[in-house]
Amino acid sequence: MELDDLKKTWKENTSNKITNTDIMELIQHKSYGPIAALKKAYRKQIINLVRVPLLLLLLSFIIKGDASKLLGSVLFWTFVAMCIVALANASYNYRIVSKMEGMNARVKDNLEQQINLLDTRLNKMITIEKWLMLIFISAVEFIPYFPGMPDGIHSVNPMIRLGIYGLMLIYQYYIHKWILEKRYGDHIDYLKRLIKEMQ
Amino acid sequence: MIKAEAEKQFEAYIKQNELLLHKICRIYAFTDTDRQDLFQEIVIQLWKAFPRFKGESKFSTWLYRVAINTAITGLRKKKDFIVSYEPARLPVQSVHETGSIEEEQWQQLLYAIEQLNPVEKSIVLLYLEDKSYEEMEDILGISQGTLRVKMMRIKEKLRQLSKNN
Repeated sequence: MELDDLKKTWKENTSNKITNTDIMELIQHKSYGPIAALKKAYRKQIINLVRVPLLLLLLSFIIKGDASKLLGSVLFWTFVAMCIVALANASYNYRIVSKMEGMNARVKDNLEQQINLLDTRLNKMITIEKWLMLIFISAVEFIPYFPGMPDGIHSVNPMIRLGIYGLMLIYQYYIHKWILEKRYGDHIDYLKRLIKEMQ
Repeated sequence: MIKAEAEKQFEAYIKQNELLLHKICRIYAFTDTDRQDLFQEIVIQLWKAFPRFKGESKFSTWLYRVAINTAITGLRKKKDFIVSYEPARLPVQSVHETGSIEEEQWQQLLYAIEQLNPVEKSIVLLYLEDKSYEEMEDILGISQGTLRVKMMRIKEKLRQLSKNN
């Protein structure tokens, strides 16, 4: 049977599986699409970036009974500033992803947008996080040299400090990158294959 | 548009096109469960896109775009993307003895279509729905020339797949 012969049968064929689907009930369910998954990931990131500094304050209050030392710490406020930068980035990404929902663009355009979103923005996110980590390590290391700043960190052996910084950078650059590539890499490759197929 | 009015209109549109959506799910998903999941996801995406449909294109064009985009990009459950085209997941086809040669040939051709990649499936789907190459270009974003060439190759591929099956 040729494809052209199938046209008539295709038009006449009525599925016996069509039931009285409650359409309005269906739209109450959550989406399992890749865009929805990305939105969830960015939402989690935004929540954690607000939660962590607040948690630090709370812990300081619980352990020391007083959060004023933490509130007076330049290091703490450097960390908060970094969280704000990361929060702005995550919020921007969340807005971009939200715009992509609905997928009413032409199929090829939609695929290109998704690849740009997943591939390009992901790489930008890794770069921004790497720089934030470097700034944080510099702040931890150099702020204590300023007069009046607590200098507990310099009592730790320099080799141990370097080791810890090295581990943090290794985690940030290799392990975190590996996790993201594992989560999204196959899907990005799949989308790129589809684009290639459309040319 | 008031929400209740929008919901009513949306429901009416989907009911009118429900058969088409099921046909799309038939092509892009292999099991009944996957088809139900895909149908649900397509309806959700259509609802999300509905406020943005302002009538610049035909409703059917808009519907095809959203449905094919949803089917082609897959679903994500339990941290794995379920992609609609995974040859290893294709169930073994058993052609039932129905006594009708036409019915068996229809099943064989459907099975052959299932073995195409997602882009080829979208072209076949629109071809079977009697869309012109201009309309296909508007939906898929592939030029008409490329579509014609691809259609020729797909027909040959289906012939080969049907013979092998």
